[in-house]
This record gives sequence, structure tokens and C-alpha cells, in this order.
Amino acid sequence: MKGIFSVLVENKDGVLSAVSGLFARRGFNIDTLAVGETDNREISSMTITSTGDQRTIDQIEKQLNKNVDVIKVRRLSDTKSVCLEMMLIKVAYNLSNRTPLIEFCQLMGAKVMKVAPKYLLIEYHAEPENVEDFIKVMKGYGIIEIQRTGTIAMEK
Amino acid sequence: MTGAEAMIKCLEAEDIRVVFGYPGVAIAPFYEGLYNSDIEHILVRQEQNAGHAASGYARMSRRPAVCVVTSGPGATNLITALATAYADSIPLIAISGQVSSRLLGRDVFQEADMRGATRSFVKHSYLVKDADDIPRVFKEAFYIASTGRKGPVLIDIPMDVQQAELRKSFKYPDAVSIRGYKPEIKINPIQLRRVIGLLDQAEKPLICAGGGVILGHGETVIREFCEKFNIPLVHTMMGMGVLPKRHPLNFGMLGNNGKPYANKAVGKADLLIVAGARIADRAIPKPENLTRRAVIHIDIDTAEIGKNVGPTVPLVGDLKEIFSLMLDANIERKEDSWIAELEDIKRNTVDKRVFSDRLVDPNLLVQKLSEKLPNDATYVADVGQNQLWSADNYIMKEGRFLTTGGMGTMGYSIPAAIGAKLVYPERQTVAVIGDGAFQMAMNELATMRNNNVDLRILLVRNRFLGLVREYQHYNYDSHYEGVKLSDWPDYSKIAEAYGLKYYECASNDELDEKLDWFLEGEGARLLVCDVDSDNNVK
Repeated sequence: MKGIFSVLVENKDGVLSAVSGLFARRGFNIDTLAVGETDNREISSMTITSTGDQRTIDQIEKQLNKNVDVIKVRRLSDTKSVCLEMMLIKVAYNLSNRTPLIEFCQLMGAKVMKVAPKYLLIEYHAEPENVEDFIKVMKGYGIIEIQRTGTIAMEK
Repeated sequence: MTGAEAMIKCLEAEDIRVVFGYPGVAIAPFYEGLYNSDIEHILVRQEQNAGHAASGYARMSRRPAVCVVTSGPGATNLITALATAYADSIPLIAISGQVSSRLLGRDVFQEADMRGATRSFVKHSYLVKDADDIPRVFKEAFYIASTGRKGPVLIDIPMDVQQAELRKSFKYPDAVSIRGYKPEIKINPIQLRRVIGLLDQAEKPLICAGGGVILGHGETVIREFCEKFNIPLVHTMMGMGVLPKRHPLNFGMLGNNGKPYANKAVGKADLLIVAGARIADRAIPKPENLTRRAVIHIDIDTAEIGKNVGPTVPLVGDLKEIFSLMLDANIERKEDSWIAELEDIKRNTVDKRVFSDRLVDPNLLVQKLSEKLPNDATYVADVGQNQLWSADNYIMKEGRFLTTGGMGTMGYSIPAAIGAKLVYPERQTVAVIGDGAFQMAMNELATMRNNNVDLRILLVRNRFLGLVREYQHYNYDSHYEGVKLSDWPDYSKIAEAYGLKYYECASNDELDEKLDWFLEGEGARLLVCDVDSDNNVK
């Protein structure tokens, strides 16, 4: 199963490594991790997604809660929250497939940020599963480089 | 006031009278502060043992104890002791000197990233960058170490922060406010009612007590609870001493190194109340089998619930408080027939211990020793065969049995016993140790002598790393590799070198006489008991 955790932490040095270390030490997997300051500069917000069985997901929540620098842990369900991921992707094109590529981007609401002689630099943000699908399509064209933010999520 | 002086003030505010340590340049300002204070410093001979000695001190005083080391190798030497304390939930405050803050991260002489290195072995850690933070950091560290599930807290302090003048006047905070740490757990009344209901209905309930009972100061209330409702108890190795061994409701230590009848009792019970135990592999090899019956799991740490054992009825909170509440609840007193059934099992369980005639039998040794010890004695068992013989045979009275159950760190007993003895100098304190672990810790004999600590050290000598040898015997066709200690050193010379009274015992017939000598009078003693190397635990 998939676990989505929205975690408020102290915005201090060492906290990120403490949180990621907790996953490493217990053999939990981090699928995505996104971190940023909140409106309060002393507090950062993390969205962590992980996969595992029920016991693992429960343990992740409990072990996160044990960390002194972790202020609050919320487990989000993907049905009751908004999940988004943003991506920058460089995709190769040639004269014959450029038009369908641009049309596909328009259809999906992706933005072409730069047109270079051999590639397009595209920005796309959407629900994580749509991002996955988008990548699958882009593989057909040839992906040169990809940068993903990881999931950010918020309860509805 | 300098940072170092503020550190001393903080320790004084926490009523710390003894610290265990090993100095170096990066912690020198703090030592200058110690020089001008009444806090006693015990110089150990290796930093790991500062941690173990503080562990022994903390366990006996039931308060956090302090160890101090310098930066770099001094600090990294301490890590094993921190890991040991963490595994056993012992409250320690570890202070490590650090290179000056402007040099941090430059790999200068004796720099080690202690926060990073200890992350998975401490409950929390601090790198202090501003001397004005010292009062708050110390207050928080003591609070975190000693509340909730206890554990070690590291305070890493760069040298320039120790030297810096505080800008504000020193004030030790009265209270702590940490957003992410709220250890006071309100006991869930619905869960509590459920647990009481289960206890009321059960016909064959059994308590499984772990080290958490002792850490949570719950021995007295659990004893009252057992006696009031006629509920028997088994315990883990760390839970030794929750009930005296000969208490009629105590059915011994469970686990693969425990009593077979204790394990059978677990099988017969219709309700198991696990209290302050993590149910690790040594206690219950197949915890998934427990799911066949109702299990109540009482622990201060939510994360222990369901970590090793499947679905249970969890009750999270302070153990002493929970048992006090249950003591006043409407629970039917259990029939004597359940106790009688367990007594039957105990009587009919074949004692597989083979009492050896060759040299000294280790089972007999521990039994005789414990019979002779005063009621309130402290028995510190090291790690290895001696630990298992001790746990299996020790006749616990009202004293304490200290050992490292979680990490199993060899050489723990001597420094821990030094710490323990300093808390209660009037109590007889015995360290029981094998010849392998002894050679890991014997440098601390100097610490012991230096500080006139009257320890009695019983060395169980079989000239091998016995427990590994036993493992090789059963699993690798007796291919004994890397386990032979041979005849060195000559322990009589070691005793002489450290000014210890020395005796050897090589047969069961001499045991009484030698043990009487071992325990009598004043002054530290070393008794070496020769045990046949073929004498296995199992």
C-alpha cells in the first residue's frame, strides 16, 4: 500500500537527515520527498510518500512521531487529499514528430518552456499518476533529462 | 559567565554530583569549570566505559547520569555505550567536546560529526552553536532523557561555545516547551476499560514483564496487582527483579534462554499482558504465534505496539499509572487452579541443566553466590555464557539485576558495576564476567582502585569465548575458530598489579569457602572460577 505523510518539522539543520535516516535505518523506502518552509520560518513542511505493508506504514508514522524535531505527522489518504507533482523534462524531437508532441502537451496542459534545436523543455504538473503517464508517452519521443519535485499533498 | 561555567550550573541545577569522563582539548574549558565545582569527576580508562559507568549509575539512581568526552576519537569511542543505553532505554546525558564552530566541517584535527554518527543511537541530540542556548539545551536534554521512553541524549559543544561569554544572565529554565515532544500520554479510558474487561473475564491471565516495568518504577504496583488478583508473571531478561525469584506468582524468565516452564506458561495462558517489553526475538522467537490468544500490550512507546507482535489490545501510557488504575478496578480474583496448573508444569518440566563435576559448575556457582548475597545486593551480569547462566540461576531477592539485554555489549559489567556501586556504596555489588569480556574491560580496574570502589568481580574462566564456541559447536560441527583465549593473562598477576585480593576456585567442593571469602570484609576482590569449556548453556 501507499502511504502519504504530511509532516511538520523544526526548520533546523540536521532535521532532514534525521527524518531520512529514520527511513534508512528501519529499511523503509522513501518514494518521494518534498520539503519547504511554511509561513512560519521556524517550521518546514515535508510530504513523504512511501510504499509498504500496513505494519510498515504504521511504523513509519509512529517512528516519525517519536522524533523530537517532528512537530506533527498527518497520514493523508489519496482520496481525501489533493496530491500534485511538478516535473521539468527535456524531450528530443525531429521535424516529423514535433507537431504531435506539441499538440499532446497542449492537450495535457503541459507548458513548453524552451524550444531548442534538438529538444523541447517542458514543464508539467499534475496528480502523480498523470505525471507517470505523461512520462510514459514522452519515452516514445526520447527523454534527455528529467527533474521531478516529488509529491506534495494537502488534505481537502 | 562562560559557556563552560553555564554547563556546570546546569548540571548543578539537575543535582548531578558525579560525572564519568575522559578529557581532551576540545572539552578542556568544561573541565576548568569542573575544577571549580563540587561535582566529582570519575576518570575512566576508555570513553566507552564512561558511558557504561553512567548507565550503571543511572539505573541505580533512577535518574539521568552524565558522561563527558572530548571531540573526535573520544566521542566516537563513546558510541557503543550510547547504542547500548539506547537499546536498553537508559537515561544518559552525553556531553562531547567539539572543534570550534568556525572550524566545523573542515575535517580539522579530532573532528568527528557526532550528531550524524550517533543519530540512530540516541533519543535526541544537540549541536550547541550559541552559549546562550546552553541552559535551554540542558534543561531539554534532561527532560527528554528521563521522560516517556527513556534514553540517551547527546550534547555536542564546540570549544569556542564553551569559552564564549553568555550575553544574557544565566537562568536555568523552570519548564520545558518542545513542540515536537509531548511525553505525557493520557491513558485512553476506552482502551483501559477494554483491558480491564478482558482481565476480568480471563481465566488464565499471565503477565509478561519487561525492563520497562523497572524503568517505569512499576515493580511495587505490579507486585500488588499480581497478588491482589492472583495473576502469575513471567519476565524477560531485562525484567528480572520485577518479582523476587521465589515469589509464588513468579514463573521465571521466558525466551530461548529462559525457563521451559515459563514458555509453556505463555502457551497455556488465555490472556497475555505484555508490560514494558518489546517482545524481541530472544524473548519470543516466533511472536506471530502469539496471535492465537488475546494479547494486551502495555507500553509507554506507541511505536512498540505492533512492532514485533501482531494485533493486540494496546494500552499506551505510564506503566505505573496504568497498573495503579487497574489495581482499583473491578477484576475478579483468579482461581488458584491456574496457579496450580503452572506449578504442575514447573514440577514436571525436566531440568535440562547438567551439573558438572568437572571444575566448577556455573549453574551451581550462580545459585550459591545468590544465596549468599544480601537481600538488596546488585548483581551485574556481563554478556555471553556467564549472562545466561546468571539469568537462569540467579535467585533474585529484593536487589537489582543489571545487564545489557538489547545490545549485548561485552565488557559492560565492570564499568556499570562501578557506576552502580557509587550510588549505593553500602550495598554489596558483584560483577559476573567471562574471561573474554574481562579482557575488554580490565583497564577499568584502575578506575575502580583509584576511586576505592569496593566491587567484587567474579570471573568465570573457561579459556574460550564460550558462547560463540557453543554456537560453533551446535551449528558448525565444533569447528572452533577464533574463540580460543588460552591461558593468558595470568589473572593472579593482574590482581596483584591492580592491588586486588585474589582467589581461584577449581571445584564445586571449594565453592562455599571461596564464595564466603569473596563476599566478606572490605576491599575489592577478584575470584576466578574455572569452568569446563565443554560446559554449554544448552
